[in-house]
Amino acid sequence: MHEYAVTESILEIVQTEAEKAGGGQVESITVVIGELSTFVDDSIEFYFQALSQGTIAEGATLIFEKVEARAVCCECGMEFKPTNIYYSCPGCHSPVFEVKQGQELYIDNLEIN
Amino acid sequence: MKIEVKKNILASNDSIATANRELLEQNGVTMINLMASPGAGKTSVIIKAIEGAGDELNMAVIEGDIASEVDSLTIEAMDTTALQINTGGACHLTAAMISSALEHLDLAATDLIIIENVGNLVCPAEFDLGETARVMIASTAEGHDKPYKYPLIFKEVDMVLVNKIDLLPYCDFDMDRFRSIVAELNPGVEIIELSCTEGTGTGDWSRWLLKSAAPVSG
Ligand SMILES: Nc1nc2c(ncn2[C@@H]2O[C@H](COP(=O)(O)OP(=O)(O)OP(=O)(O)O)[C@@H](O)[C@H]2O)c(=O)[nH]1
Ligand SMILES: [Mg+2]
Ligand SMILES: [Zn+2]
Repeated sequence: MHEYAVTESILEIVQTEAEKAGGGQVESITVVIGELSTFVDDSIEFYFQALSQGTIAEGATLIFEKVEARAVCCECGMEFKPTNIYYSCPGCHSPVFEVKQGQELYIDNLEIN
Repeated sequence: MKIEVKKNILASNDSIATANRELLEQNGVTMINLMASPGAGKTSVIIKAIEGAGDELNMAVIEGDIASEVDSLTIEAMDTTALQINTGGACHLTAAMISSALEHLDLAATDLIIIENVGNLVCPAEFDLGETARVMIASTAEGHDKPYKYPLIFKEVDMVLVNKIDLLPYCDFDMDRFRSIVAELNPGVEIIELSCTEGTGTGDWSRWLLKSAAPVSG
């Protein structure tokens, strides 16, 4: 469900940016997606096929670049890779940590011709 | 041709916080972001707020927790709307989480929302939720030097509650030292001394809430 809104937002950004660059057909869109972001790329792909029809992004390839998760424990400062959302610090077992990377969701670049 | 975009697909925390704040203003709702260490007395302070101001104000509570829902069950048992947000490991609430929670509340019929942020003095202070005021609780057993260790949160708040003053005889908490350190970091900030177990100071706390949430007239 959220992926629908995300895909709409992707198309909005792509249209604005492509027009700024003088228009043309969009060939590919590179989306950076953090490991911990809850968005499913297959599902974005699915909505993209439907929503891009008739736009300058129709037929464009979606490229997903994954970012590995990194977190720092708020108690002991240890850096680690949270593997799931209910993870706790491997050093001191504190469940309280700050995610440093892995929650990204942005458009990195477009290819147009 | 390659175009560098580097644009977030979702809006940033600050812009969502601003949208939350506007939505609350339109509906005349006051929202308090309550922050403290684990066990300092956040839930107890909310219970005192409901007891002291629940007759005059339509209140709702948003409970931020890493995983459980014990605190929201406690609040619901007092016939007060409670929404639970589990942050799934993250040590603070974000404006987006609050935005989704607000969708579940009847804002037109609400005067005051209290958010119990995740128990932690570091990360919550960095995230604007769109609140009207920020309140933190320091409890006596944590020691009077807390403000030195967590200066940001002490600088950012509009009110400091010193809870568990009934324990003063048993710990080395120096109230004068504490007050002067806080005044140095955040000149003029209001401080209320409180004991949730004995009820000391809870009248001041409710009065402050009533004043903060009073409809702005004329
Ligand atoms: N002696 C004393 N104990 C208190 C006071 N206020 C709260 N407590 C106790 O402190 C403990 C924690 O209180 P809570 O209100 O659950 O604290 P909290 O900050 O919500 O805790 P978490 O949500 O677990 O982070 C409970 O056992 C309370 O009974 C007080 O004024 N004096
Ligand atoms: Mg609590
Ligand atoms: Zn740790």
